Amino acid sequence: MARLLHSQKSNKKTPAKKETLYKDAKQNAEEIKRLFSHGTNEDFISRELIAAFNKKKVYLFFYSSIVNSNSIEEFVIKPLLEEEGESVSDVITNKDITQISDYQQAIENINNGKVIIFIDGDDNGYGMEVSQFQHRAIGKAENESVIKGPKEAFTESLYVNMSLVRKQIRDKQLITELTSIGERAKQSVILVYVDDLVNDEVLENVKNRIKNIEIDTVRNVELLEQLIEERPNSIFPSILYTERPDNAAAYLENGYIVILMDNSAACLILPVTFWDFFHNPEDRYTRYIFGNLTRLIRFLGLFLTTMISAIYVALANFHSEMIPPDLLLAITAARERVPFPLIMEILIMEIAFELIREAGIRIPNPLGPTIGIVGALILGQAAVEANVISPIIVIVAAISGLSSFAISDVSLNYSVRISRFIFILAAGFMGMFSLIGVFLLLFMYAASLKSFGIPFFAPVAPNYKSQGDTLFRKVLRAEIWRPTYVTQKDIQKKKKN
Amino acid sequence: MKNFCKIIFIFILFILLTGCYDKAELEQQSYVIAIGLDKGEKEGTFSFTFQIANPEVGSTLSAGSDEEAEETISITGNDIVTATNTANSFVTKRIVLDQTKVIVVSEELARSEDFLRVIQSASRTPQIRRGVEMIVSKEKASDFLNNNDPKMEQRPHKYYQYMLNRAKQTGIIPEADLHRFFQITEGDADLFLAIYATTEKAETEDTGTEDEYIAGQIPQEGGNVTQFMGSAVFKEGMLIDIIDGQETRICNTLDKTMGMEELLSTYPDPIAPKYRISADYSQKEEPVIDVSYNKKTNHAKISVTVSFNLEILAIPSMIDYAQNEKNQKILRKSIEKNLENKTKELIQISQEEYGSDPFYWSLYIRKFFKDIPAYEKGDWNKKIFPNAEIDVNFVLKRLDFGKMLNDSNLNDVRD
Repeated sequence: MARLLHSQKSNKKTPAKKETLYKDAKQNAEEIKRLFSHGTNEDFISRELIAAFNKKKVYLFFYSSIVNSNSIEEFVIKPLLEEEGESVSDVITNKDITQISDYQQAIENINNGKVIIFIDGDDNGYGMEVSQFQHRAIGKAENESVIKGPKEAFTESLYVNMSLVRKQIRDKQLITELTSIGERAKQSVILVYVDDLVNDEVLENVKNRIKNIEIDTVRNVELLEQLIEERPNSIFPSILYTERPDNAAAYLENGYIVILMDNSAACLILPVTFWDFFHNPEDRYTRYIFGNLTRLIRFLGLFLTTMISAIYVALANFHSEMIPPDLLLAITAARERVPFPLIMEILIMEIAFELIREAGIRIPNPLGPTIGIVGALILGQAAVEANVISPIIVIVAAISGLSSFAISDVSLNYSVRISRFIFILAAGFMGMFSLIGVFLLLFMYAASLKSFGIPFFAPVAPNYKSQGDTLFRKVLRAEIWRPTYVTQKDIQKKKKN
Repeated sequence: MKNFCKIIFIFILFILLTGCYDKAELEQQSYVIAIGLDKGEKEGTFSFTFQIANPEVGSTLSAGSDEEAEETISITGNDIVTATNTANSFVTKRIVLDQTKVIVVSEELARSEDFLRVIQSASRTPQIRRGVEMIVSKEKASDFLNNNDPKMEQRPHKYYQYMLNRAKQTGIIPEADLHRFFQITEGDADLFLAIYATTEKAETEDTGTEDEYIAGQIPQEGGNVTQFMGSAVFKEGMLIDIIDGQETRICNTLDKTMGMEELLSTYPDPIAPKYRISADYSQKEEPVIDVSYNKKTNHAKISVTVSFNLEILAIPSMIDYAQNEKNQKILRKSIEKNLENKTKELIQISQEEYGSDPFYWSLYIRKFFKDIPAYEKGDWNKKIFPNAEIDVNFVLKRLDFGKMLNDSNLNDVRD
């Protein structure tokens, strides 16, 4: 038993923290080879050569899949073989070189796409930045598309994303602060903020939350979002998720914090309010009147998608006197042949619509058109003709489904869809009375929410000095203040006339 | 997981509990469009007629349906709402009165004291709206509803909606919703005008004017037998008289609470009395009703000024009124005089016969009293109005002659 434990210990592949390097380069090389399972690991490369400047043996290690082999050849191997000089840093022409003193560092360096070298007679190792992680090229924003406005979207590379943000805000105060998360496989997280605008309390809060994540791996911001949010059970989101760098930049300028990670073609923005989920970047890119028209339509969409089915249930089941006689008789005539209670009809159609939506996302592209035929034909026409549902239900469900797409934010979209079902059941309980009751409860709950200390309906309730961009926005020239619920530092962003 | 179970449990409870309270599926209800009220055979009972809309007729889905557009049933009972329950012995679905458009009362019942007893339940139940129009039918209400057979608007609610709207616009029937009825009856002043209608033909006397008819008298060929014309005058909740379309129009012009849009009417030709001149009467401004009240003598002086515009539509006598100023002056005078005379006649009748006014003028005297008891003591119906000195002035503001000023010269045409 003791021997078994011992052998396990000597074979372990993760060295204890701060386990320093051996004095001997060869011994170090053997240890690294063992740690990275050299020989089994196909893309783990080890190379030995004799350096020209001190005629000593040099050991190189890197992952061939995540480095740029040209850089290694040109800036590391070639100088080592050919150049003369005093020390390693004199010889190597690579842009960046760091000293390594323990295994932890060595492992991180290799994992992050650096090449490390050990030189006979040198106590330290050296790491050189030659990484080239493969990623998608910068593409168009697909989920948050706009007609007027920049088309670039984030891509799954941290450095590309940082570049995209920095391109928008050329400010020396724009800080990209690196922290890393994950106990086992470390990932870099970049906090982006404008130093002289950011709310320090929120920044501290976020840093703490990231620090306190004790989990083996966190691969991307989608997972990170769930790990740092305050109320994981809430139906309302508390962190904004956007794939648009221009959107991120707009928030940064107002003192918000943006979180970037590798492997995510999006960023997280916090803290947020209800209005941030409701807005779309295009509202600000189009002119005052046009932007507000879209806002109005989107608000109508928000109302319709949450309420129309529920109101229909309430009116038809409890308050038939509120329906004009022509419509009433038309509905009645259609309903006479339908076997289900009205609320079941609505639920069937709403669930069918959710099915189409879910299937539409998951369906492989070549099969895409099929879903349209199935959806429109089977669920629309055939169901009506077979007297399973009445035609007005198709209209109601279509309006409620269609207007849900007006809410472009993915997270709020889910909230809205869930609350729609809650409202339908509430309306079926005691009509308008219970519908309004449940709406008030949900509204009160939303008003009580906070995102990193910021009330969900700020700046409307409670009232704050801000740029006045809530349901409607002001003329750009009249936006004088930064949102004071986020930042207290430099609250005036435009001179008053 | 525990939370999740709880949520699912609540969800299921929701579905189970759904359907309690007063939920009712639309197709399990019958919608009454018109209610008829008649005297029952025994004292204290009434006969109720319900005209129920058939939802299948007129909706596109069931275009092939050969069912009738409505079902009309009659039943005896004590009040409207309980009668709906009794009617369920032969009507398949729950009868609801929410969508009722009109209440038809037979003249016989309206003239009796019992009318107020039965109609007051309409104000009590929330099912009957205050906007329901009141129609008085010459025959029994059940006969009226059964005989009424619109050819174009088969669906009854559409028929009443269009019919009443248009007739009200032309002013030949009054606005007579239930709310107004209760307001005037409870106010114990003024007269309430209900719509007068019938499906029975009466002896027609061709008066030559277009609106001096009451329903049933209008010479008509083809179309629906139902005629809406004139009003039934209610005093203190009882019918006391029927007035014709022309008098109803006068009531509408003098009453600020009534809306009337246009009025095509004829007036005697002052120069060639054989003919009548047709004109479009329009009243852009409200009439000015100026009341002065003497507290000591309890005497009121009411002076009414109605300014109106007139567009001449036809001059069959072909006398040149358009360009001959002398003739025009005569015409103006004659029309104003004509209107004033007719109005004065109606006022005289209401002062002497009815003992109250159908114009809702008591509204303008109320401000002279300190409180309601004082106003009641003044007694508009018995003391003030019958003795009031009433002066009516019609002022013709603008006289138009249409787009062609000259009529054809008869002598030139026939040479």
